[in-house]
Amino acid sequence: MTAAGGARRRLRVVVVGAGMVGARLADELHARAGGSADVTVLGAESHEPYNRVLLSDLVAGKVDLGSLTLPVPQGARVLRDVTAVLVDRARRTVRCDDGSVHPYDVLVLATGARARVPHVPGLSAGERGLPRGVHALRTLDDAREVVAAAANGPETVVLGGGVLGVEVATGLAHRGLAVTVLHPGPHAMDRQLGGGAGDALAAGLARLGVRLRTGVRVTGVGHDAAGVAHVLLAPAAAGAADEQVACRLLVLAAGAVPETDLAAAAGLAVGRGVLVDGDGATADPAVFAVGDCAEPPEGGMGLVAQGWAQARRLAVAVAARARGEEPRGPVQAPPDVVDHDAGTLDVVRAKAHGLAVSAMGVLAASAPPGARCLTLSDPSGARHVEVVVADGVVIGAACVGDGAVAADLVAAYTRRTPVPRDPAQLLVKPVRGSEPATAASPTLMPDRATVCRCNGVTKGDVVAQWRSGARSVAEVVRATRATTGCGGCRDAVCGLVEWLERVDPDPAPVGGGAGGAVDDANDGGADDAARRALAVVPT
Amino acid sequence: MPEASSPDGTVRVEVGTHCPYCALQCAQTLGPPDDTAVAAGSPVAVAGRDFPTNRGGLCRKGWTSGVVLAAPDRLVTPLVRDRSGDLRRAGWDEALDRVAEAILTAQRTHGRESVAVFGGGGLTNEKAYALGKFARVVLRTPYVDYNGRFCMASAAAGALRAFGVDRGLPFPLADLGGAQAVLLLGSNLAETMPPAVAHLVGARAAGGLVVVDPRRSPTAALTDDGGGVHLAPVPGTDLALLLGLLHVVVAEGLADRGYLTARTAGADDVVRSVAAWWPERVEQVTGVPAADIRAAARLLAAAAPAAGGTGAYVLTGRGVEQSTQGTATVTAAINLALALGLPGRVGSGYGAVTGQGNGQGGREHGQKADQLPGYRRIDDPAARAHVAGVWGVDPEVLPGPGVPAVELLRRCGTPGGPRVLLVHGCNLVVSAPDSQRVRERLAALDLLVVCDVVPSETARLADVVLPVTQWAEEEGTMTSLEGRVLRRRRALAPPMGVRTELEVLHELAGRLGVATGFPTDAVEVFDELARASGGGTADYSGITYDRLDAGEALHWPCPVTPDGAPDHPGTPRLFLDGFGTPDGRARMVPVEHVGPSDRLSEARPLYLVTGRVLEHYQSGAQTRRVPALAAAQPEPYVEMHPWLADRLGLADGDEAAVTSARGTAVAVTRVTSTARPDTVFMPFHWSGEGSANRLTTDATDPVSGMPEFKVATVDVRPARTGPAT
Repeated sequence: MTAAGGARRRLRVVVVGAGMVGARLADELHARAGGSADVTVLGAESHEPYNRVLLSDLVAGKVDLGSLTLPVPQGARVLRDVTAVLVDRARRTVRCDDGSVHPYDVLVLATGARARVPHVPGLSAGERGLPRGVHALRTLDDAREVVAAAANGPETVVLGGGVLGVEVATGLAHRGLAVTVLHPGPHAMDRQLGGGAGDALAAGLARLGVRLRTGVRVTGVGHDAAGVAHVLLAPAAAGAADEQVACRLLVLAAGAVPETDLAAAAGLAVGRGVLVDGDGATADPAVFAVGDCAEPPEGGMGLVAQGWAQARRLAVAVAARARGEEPRGPVQAPPDVVDHDAGTLDVVRAKAHGLAVSAMGVLAASAPPGARCLTLSDPSGARHVEVVVADGVVIGAACVGDGAVAADLVAAYTRRTPVPRDPAQLLVKPVRGSEPATAASPTLMPDRATVCRCNGVTKGDVVAQWRSGARSVAEVVRATRATTGCGGCRDAVCGLVEWLERVDPDPAPVGGGAGGAVDDANDGGADDAARRALAVVPT
Repeated sequence: MPEASSPDGTVRVEVGTHCPYCALQCAQTLGPPDDTAVAAGSPVAVAGRDFPTNRGGLCRKGWTSGVVLAAPDRLVTPLVRDRSGDLRRAGWDEALDRVAEAILTAQRTHGRESVAVFGGGGLTNEKAYALGKFARVVLRTPYVDYNGRFCMASAAAGALRAFGVDRGLPFPLADLGGAQAVLLLGSNLAETMPPAVAHLVGARAAGGLVVVDPRRSPTAALTDDGGGVHLAPVPGTDLALLLGLLHVVVAEGLADRGYLTARTAGADDVVRSVAAWWPERVEQVTGVPAADIRAAARLLAAAAPAAGGTGAYVLTGRGVEQSTQGTATVTAAINLALALGLPGRVGSGYGAVTGQGNGQGGREHGQKADQLPGYRRIDDPAARAHVAGVWGVDPEVLPGPGVPAVELLRRCGTPGGPRVLLVHGCNLVVSAPDSQRVRERLAALDLLVVCDVVPSETARLADVVLPVTQWAEEEGTMTSLEGRVLRRRRALAPPMGVRTELEVLHELAGRLGVATGFPTDAVEVFDELARASGGGTADYSGITYDRLDAGEALHWPCPVTPDGAPDHPGTPRLFLDGFGTPDGRARMVPVEHVGPSDRLSEARPLYLVTGRVLEHYQSGAQTRRVPALAAAQPEPYVEMHPWLADRLGLADGDEAAVTSARGTAVAVTRVTSTARPDTVFMPFHWSGEGSANRLTTDATDPVSGMPEFKVATVDVRPARTGPAT
């Protein structure tokens, strides 16, 4: 390999951030360029890489802390407890708070995002972080603190009714806390859901004991000697006093802010996030950004699936560079298990305890002309299903309160599989057993109905053997082989024989033409044994 | 051995044997033909015989198995292709001479690698052993493999990696009866081996049967009415589902930590590897609701010994194994079982439900490309020395590892590849993936030799066809899905002109210059096989026909004991004291989900899954010749959900054209709500334009070489809009 050109110097890749996307990138780089790149990952937290998505489950008490730990990326140097403080793009180095300096050929910013802290009196973060009793939920330490704070069952306010707010609120309610969600928007998860779904979500939250206040504006947070004491809301009527919502635990779920300080200080263009092209590249050909800190042309969604897809594409490009190839044009990354194409990354699935909430693609309200929008609205049942269909595929859906329908919709949406001619079929899952499967009595059972599937024996076969002289279950079994496979039809065969004994005790011999007793028999009176037994397999 | 039939072939006494079809190997009694047998055209009366596995039961295939003995087109004379291209009758000497000459010519011109052998998982242990020996000692070719590569290779690779031993079920099947939960992954027992369903009664009564299948198969329907849970993932995503189940077990603290510490290695890496597979993500990949994933995981954990349950089993079948990530999927299933503390404990465990009649024994005695008898590796010098010693040859003459079945077929008729192919017990052009391409490869051979009982589709392509015996006409042993060695016994003489494969190999060996070492008596072959396997993983050295005929239940390993010592009782339950790894610990290996090789696209927006129906077996060469079975399932079909049929304008009975990247098949539409709306199903028992394997891909698992039969992407349309012109 290296004989022709001599040994190529290994590409030095520095990844700033050991979160879910940074760690995944290191893994992908190892898989694709393991032999030709030296990868260093700078992690600011003291923990091993962990699954940030599950922090709300941890708060809910649904998962063990240890189960969040992700594999340590293979083939990479992963440093913990080091914070990158300066990028020198001219020298191509990163300096850290511990004084270490890391030279790079390729720098990838995967610094993620931090919790947004609303600018209201009483919330400003001091030297020692947020005021006592106030917690964000962005890191493992945050989650542990929330769990510790929840131990005494304090009255709780969750600031923000987005995905995280809904997850945290239901999780804490599951722990038995009295939880109020304060949300500025018209309904919870209004970035993902339309009004109808929002109503169903509100009903679902109410069922779980979560109080939801929408359309409110927080004006401040009050404290006393014990810590946080209340949240102040702007009054509904002008001139009235601010309303106080009491709480001893305040969880901030008011959105996230991309961590761009490092990039901005290095002179890179920063909008909401670090501005990058579709391949994650900044204007500096040696610097890239992925995950929540990045702002690609389509915008950051704050979903890990998007970050993982970016990491995969970037790993392919960096691997090519490590091999000395400079790809032209957009990177063709191999498909992922979820992102069959980029359009299907935007699936939001709230992990709310006891409440299934999913949203994907376009909302009915913003559907393209000609698209069919179907809605099943069942607000008092805390259920809402909304599907947008265009060109024979699902292009958007929202589903509250029906996990089974949501699972089907996400499969259809992400894979663009054909929808039924009447898309209304997508709105409900047929109840199992709604198709006729059980004959009420052997009389009503058609002759061609299969009694024994293993041996292909029908009711007609059993009746024919009865008429031919088989007079017991054993004789019918011997003649037809019914029950001799899996044995599951034994009750049915016994039931049929009992029925025949009653309605046709003395059939005319075969060839005698009669046997009409069976055909004409009225199922005289209840025969529970026979009825119970006759689970008929449709042929 | 007393002859059970008179010289004219009629059966005189009752003979206890086992069914010719699947790996359940239901016990049968064959007797003189009664009225039913005569009416059906069977020369023997077939009845179920009480046995721990089938408890006297048989399915329809077993009851009617005698009919194939007298199939109207039964091969009773060798056939040789003449200059005009037609197969004509020939004498045995002419046919065998033709084969031997072609082999010698090919070897002279192209070397020993120009001859290949393709075996089958339905062959007796004796035949499988003799075939592997023939390839290595007589042909001295590395090119030997078998159709077990199409069914058991991924399960074998996964089990070997984890446990150091691959025995489909490392416990008796009847043990399932006491379990509180059974997880069945990609196995449709209720159709493929119906009598086995009786062993699920306990789990169903406890509400603990969990069936993973994209279709609501008859097996999945056993979960109805409180029997358990049916999870219907998008085809090709079983692995993600398993990762999600393990995630829940870990996240909710349900793992058996003590067991993991004491009996496994690598648990920490595996535990970490599933951290990224939380149920809501798995729902997105698999289409299985997150709540169902959690419920299934909890149900299994509650049944595990650590939770005080009565036991749980994790079982895999072809549905999850016939995949480009089949070995990884089996590994994930094993990881789940290990996390729950199941393998190597009485009343719990992991197992693979073997498919073919001798799918177990067939993979132990050397017809696999990388293997020598006793489940030894052909690249292990000690194994070579031992087996060469039994065979009386220099270890140096034994060839090295060959290539797996799909690769072997790809190389047929190519420069440097095999030019002569001997096929035993396999109807390749129906059962191999991407079958049209297989036809092309076979056509490119200099000589194709097929041993068969009927003119199968593959036999019809052959240059030489050799008629061989069926199950009721021969002696031998089979090793069932639970690793128990069973006696196959002769009940009647074969038709005049038919020989056993042992006789064929003996004759060919002689013509190729090896006069000894290929006895024609099955017991003699077995005794040598037992010696050759001695000290190996699948050790048969303590097993004899006498012990089996005395009714002993012998599961391997069953090593020979010194003179005077009592016989080894066999090993019904493996791993109770430790796994077959050097340190006795099971290996846990992290695996990742990648997905099937075919991808959905606008041109091919649907999944195709393939499988079996109750009435037919494998390529259907036998069962399609039984009128009762053929009448019940007369033709290939494509099963689809009512929504899909409606959208495509297809009604029950309409002909549908199903097209994949490989080709098109035309089959009759069957509309059923047991299908997923995004998935169509086709059984694979037919040849011709309705053959499912025209559509399947020959992409293979990187570890096991197993092809991805179970998932393809297709387009479906009405086949013929008007009357054919």
